[in-house]
Amino acid sequence: MKQSHQSKKFTKIFVPLLIVLAATLAACGAPPAEGTLRIGMQPILATDPATISSDAEVLVASSVYDYLVDVDAQSNIVPRLATSWDVSDDGLTYTFTLAEGVEFHDGSAFTAEDVVWTFDRLRDEDLGFTTSSLYSNIADITATGELEVAFTLENTNPFFLYDLSDNHALVLKTGTEDADTHFNGTGPFKVENYSPEDRLDLIANENYFIEGQPKLARIEMIFFSEENAMVDALRGGQLDLVMRMTTALFESLQDEAGINTFAVPTNGFDLVRLRSDRAPGNDPRVIQALKLATDRQAILELVQQGYGAIGNDSPIGPLYGPYHDPAVTPPARDVAAARALLAEAGYADGLSLTLHTPDSGGRPDLAAVLKAQWAEAGVEVEISVEPESVYYGDDGWLEVDLGITGWGSRPYPQFYLDVMLVSGAKWNESHFSDAEFDALAALAGSTLDEGERIQAYADIQQLLVERGPVIIPYFFAQFGAIRDTFTGFEMKAFPGRSDLRTISITQ
Amino acid sequence: MVSRIRTLAETKSAASKWGRRFLDSVRTIYSRPATAFGASVVLLFVLLAVLGPLIAPYGANQQIPADARQAPSTAHWFGTDHLGRDVFSRVVIGTRDILSLAGTGTLLSVVMGTSLGLLSGYRGGWFDELLMRFFDSLLAMPALLLALLLLGTLGPSRQGVLLVIVVVYTPIVARVVRSVVLAIKTKGFIEAARVQGESAGRILFREILPSVLPALAVEAALRFSYAIFLAASLGFLGVGVQPPSPDWGLMVNEARRTFSQVPWALYFPAAAISLLVVGVNLAADGLKQVLLKAD
Repeated sequence: MKQSHQSKKFTKIFVPLLIVLAATLAACGAPPAEGTLRIGMQPILATDPATISSDAEVLVASSVYDYLVDVDAQSNIVPRLATSWDVSDDGLTYTFTLAEGVEFHDGSAFTAEDVVWTFDRLRDEDLGFTTSSLYSNIADITATGELEVAFTLENTNPFFLYDLSDNHALVLKTGTEDADTHFNGTGPFKVENYSPEDRLDLIANENYFIEGQPKLARIEMIFFSEENAMVDALRGGQLDLVMRMTTALFESLQDEAGINTFAVPTNGFDLVRLRSDRAPGNDPRVIQALKLATDRQAILELVQQGYGAIGNDSPIGPLYGPYHDPAVTPPARDVAAARALLAEAGYADGLSLTLHTPDSGGRPDLAAVLKAQWAEAGVEVEISVEPESVYYGDDGWLEVDLGITGWGSRPYPQFYLDVMLVSGAKWNESHFSDAEFDALAALAGSTLDEGERIQAYADIQQLLVERGPVIIPYFFAQFGAIRDTFTGFEMKAFPGRSDLRTISITQ
Repeated sequence: MVSRIRTLAETKSAASKWGRRFLDSVRTIYSRPATAFGASVVLLFVLLAVLGPLIAPYGANQQIPADARQAPSTAHWFGTDHLGRDVFSRVVIGTRDILSLAGTGTLLSVVMGTSLGLLSGYRGGWFDELLMRFFDSLLAMPALLLALLLLGTLGPSRQGVLLVIVVVYTPIVARVVRSVVLAIKTKGFIEAARVQGESAGRILFREILPSVLPALAVEAALRFSYAIFLAASLGFLGVGVQPPSPDWGLMVNEARRTFSQVPWALYFPAAAISLLVVGVNLAADGLKQVLLKAD
């Protein structure tokens, strides 16, 4: 009796204790999210994934929502909501298997229908999102099971998975109508508080479908409109992570204690292009002379302080691995040859041009250096600097004869050819039209034979060096800095796509 | 008529009288340290403007890649900027640009403002009313806003900045002149001239203008300092003179982006702007003292 009383007491006290202990141990299997990361960034304007564009907007959206497939820092396609996929032999049907046990932040279950609804929304021409042209090649999207979805294409597209990982392709819940004011995603973080133009606070989604992620308990995104102020706040300890800054600010952080800096090579570039459909650019000798008068190494040293990589007048940069042919390079600088070509073209007494440039990044500097370099070949340049929003705002940039344009980094090169250089393309700023080029670009963008594509890209680079309308002097690097108490961060070429799920705090 | 024929002795004494007055003025200027400082600064910058390209060791847009981002040294007194341009040379060569731009602008606004002010004050009536209300409407807008509006329409250029200075400062000069005219116009000697049948032009320019001159000179000097500031501000905002010209405001703007790395590229042009504006202001203040005393 006494014994049994003792035993009862034992049960009463120790069983709950054991349960608590077991629960604690179980939780230790996946350490709980902890720590706060404070990120400084530009204020966000758009929050609906279909309309985001800036780094900050994409960073917020890709933390709250998930992509079907994602791209890692080395530009490889990796699973996210889709755990695996099959491509039919004809290359036209992609079938995705989706992750199990995924929930939206409001507690509802994620299904294949949400994927269908999201991509139907993005490709709907009536809604007019920029993705509608990107996805115009999709014939049909069908939920073939609770957690299985099939995309059928009209024509083969070897880069379709990259298209599916487009910045805007974040999966929303079926029927979402208030994506611009509410944040109901499946993503690793939930929005706790958003004060426009001030800050946005995120807390870890404890039901996130990937075990052990996110590792941080909280992320505070603090908005700065001034880069200098942002970097000063990092230096002063009010921020932990800053992405995208000028070379000068990056250099100034090199000796700062407790801060790790990184320069990430990208395929982003500034290009100088001459309209090829009217004088003086309709004489191919003129752009050839400008190319000969350009010292790319000096430009890289002065404008980018040596960060990044030399460009060779083609957007297919060194980051694209086998697609980039390092053997194709423009001829070395030769001022005398440039002068001779200009004389042949009827500009023996020199040529006067106005060089238009947006006021952002190193573009005005690039203009100033080109002015000095080309002057030696008898080309007189007058520089016209315009605010970026004005320059790109009214399509004036597509009209001017000679202009500088910045192009962001993309995970694959076909994009640049299709929108910038193919005859009649939407952003064909140089008004370039070359039948051989068009055929090569079409081949590269559709063939399923990788060897054939590599050859086509090599031919395109050769063609652009010989008669292309653009000078691409460099590919720029992207800069970032993070406090050294954090690990597991890898910045991507487009900083807004950097993965915040894997960052953890060490102390 | 007889009185107009001067004897040699009279001419001599007149010359020595002017000489005395000039010496007196110089003495007055240099008896006040602030004015002396201001006048010396203005003199220094005028010298730089005249001799600029001779003094500057490098070209304004000469890029020396190997020397980029160097701190001030004996080779580069003010250091070099991010594109390897010698900051000292750019500041020196830029002196002529800003002085000629602000000077021409001030001169034009003074000439136009004086003519309009004289006419408006003397004529009065509907002309005066219309002109003054129009000027009021221009003055109601902050100078910089008006400037941005104009340059936004015209597109950024040196001529645009000149026009802006004239549009912004003509009304101010005109109002100052007009107020002096209003005070003088009722005085006896003007009445007398009118009764004598002198033409309006003669009365305006021979009788009234001399009385306006002291106030006008002070106003012109002040306008000059504001014009320097306005031109530099517009350059800084990127709507004025276009790169790569060595405009001080533009230099400050460009250097702002690289400030954390090459701060001297910002310090020197910014200091030049401040020094010149303060110098002109102090000199204008001194001029006011001299002319008031003379009055």
